[in-house]
Amino acid sequence: MSTIDLTPASYGTGADARPQGSAARRVLGMARANAVLLVRNRMTFVYAVVMPLVPLALLLAGPRGEAGTGISALTNVLMLAAIFPVYYNLLSLTVTRRDELVLKRLRTGEATDREILASMALPGIAVLLAVVAISVPAAAALGQPLPRNGVVVALAAVLVAGAFAALAFWTAAWTKNAEAAQLTSMPVILVAVVGSLVAILPERVQPVLEWTPGAALDTLVRIGWFGQDADGAAVSFGDSFAASAQPLVTLAVWAVVAASLAARSMRWEPRG
Amino acid sequence: MTTTEQTRSASGTGAGTGAAISVRGLRRTYGKGAAAFEAVRGVDLDVPTGTVTALLGTNGAGKTSTLEVVEGLGRASGGTVRVLGLDPIADRAAVRRRTGVLLQTSGFSGDLTVAETARLWHSTLSTPRPVDEALEMLDLGARAAVKVSALSGGERRRLDLACTLMGRPELVFLDEPTTGLDPESRREVWRLVRGLRAAGATVLLTTHYLEEAETLADRLEIMHGGRIVRSGTAGEIADGHPSTIAFDRLERALPQQLAGGVVDPASYGQPRTVVETVDLQATLTALLDWARDEKVRLEGLDARSASLEQVFLAIADSSTDDRRDAPTAPATPKGA
Repeated sequence: MSTIDLTPASYGTGADARPQGSAARRVLGMARANAVLLVRNRMTFVYAVVMPLVPLALLLAGPRGEAGTGISALTNVLMLAAIFPVYYNLLSLTVTRRDELVLKRLRTGEATDREILASMALPGIAVLLAVVAISVPAAAALGQPLPRNGVVVALAAVLVAGAFAALAFWTAAWTKNAEAAQLTSMPVILVAVVGSLVAILPERVQPVLEWTPGAALDTLVRIGWFGQDADGAAVSFGDSFAASAQPLVTLAVWAVVAASLAARSMRWEPRG
Repeated sequence: MTTTEQTRSASGTGAGTGAAISVRGLRRTYGKGAAAFEAVRGVDLDVPTGTVTALLGTNGAGKTSTLEVVEGLGRASGGTVRVLGLDPIADRAAVRRRTGVLLQTSGFSGDLTVAETARLWHSTLSTPRPVDEALEMLDLGARAAVKVSALSGGERRRLDLACTLMGRPELVFLDEPTTGLDPESRREVWRLVRGLRAAGATVLLTTHYLEEAETLADRLEIMHGGRIVRSGTAGEIADGHPSTIAFDRLERALPQQLAGGVVDPASYGQPRTVVETVDLQATLTALLDWARDEKVRLEGLDARSASLEQVFLAIADSSTDDRRDAPTAPATPKGA
């Protein structure tokens, strides 16, 4: 500690006085640390990376290449990727880092609130997108088709990731600590999965369920990946965009509503 | 980039030019309605560029609440705050690039190593010093591969300080920088603060250690009940406060005249007699002359000038007048 130059950067004229900060550099630097934390904790790693891949095993169990099995497996892959790496991982990460005062510390620096939030959501969203990418060749190898409309599948993945990331921040606002997250996460997870139960629930509630993220994902996988509608009739590539509009809007509405709820209720310090 | 350069020259950086921090009539209220609690009640504060200022006060005096507003972490409910000539919230990006903050409690992920934590912080800075240099600066080079959860409290504090200084700040906020440090680490932190001052940086710190404030700071600001009640150098603050002479109780009466010295009524009947005086030398001379003439031995004789500690304790003991109507504790986790 003997010869340390403590001269403020803004007084200097040297090359290193030129600011090198950018939003991308800050977000990626923080996201990298969050990714290290996600991988380092075995529990979070299993939940965030292994869990979403489990439904692919359904493709081995069912009749090879059967569309019904494929739709159900791939819808579940997307749904579990939204629930575990994005929603639950981000919820517990936000609560833990808030309680460790990490968020408060980061907010004293140059990173903006949005950059800090983005850096937390990025690793989970990257896992979701990677899981979807892996599912394409994996499903093909197990006799399922390649996505008929890759744009619709990609849009579905991005929108569902955004919606569940925002839902995670909102849930964190009223979650007291990391243990409580096991309980406070239940409503969102329930809403997420209820849509995929459309078939076994009374017909009266079905119009409501269509507006859940689960039902929207189910429809989008049918149309975008398998090129067929709810009744199994073929949908052409040209028609698939129009047919995907309602479920895509559903996911977008969830994302916007969740983001505005999160923005209104975000807490950066431990709950008293 | 262009606007940054403009605001920099407009705010006039460099040692000895104006106030790095200027606060007028700052108020901060927690909660609403009947449960509202005003933690900061009209603070005026100037921190001249290139100086070290210590904010002192008992717990709940409003130090951290004041600091959070100046750091741009909290909003004032009234008053104005200028930091480096800028508004810490509206001009956030320009201010943050030039400031370093050490919070009262360190906030790190236990699962990251020291080097990973430092690298994370490095990635958020515009003008960072190299990670290795920042760690070396606080003797953490050998601990780079250790997880934060395995660090001692003092090491964690030093890592926090390394992050604070990594961006080569010209204005540094240190909220209780040496609490929990061993004496050697504390002295190293003092050296860093002196080094910052010598390099032209400005430091605003809070501390519970009065000798720390006296040793490091050019100016002291003592807070009590959400207000600044005394400001100045340690000498100026102690000035006007009575000096004291103490000795073991005598079995006989003291003379009436002690050159202005008066026996502190609180010491009546106590094992030690305390005489207060504004003129220590004259009163001590009178007392010693009397003792020599009367052949009285003053056991345990002790004479001292008014100290910062005495002033501080007097303030802390003083009636907290308008704070007694505070209905609840402040709604912030770490006190105001």
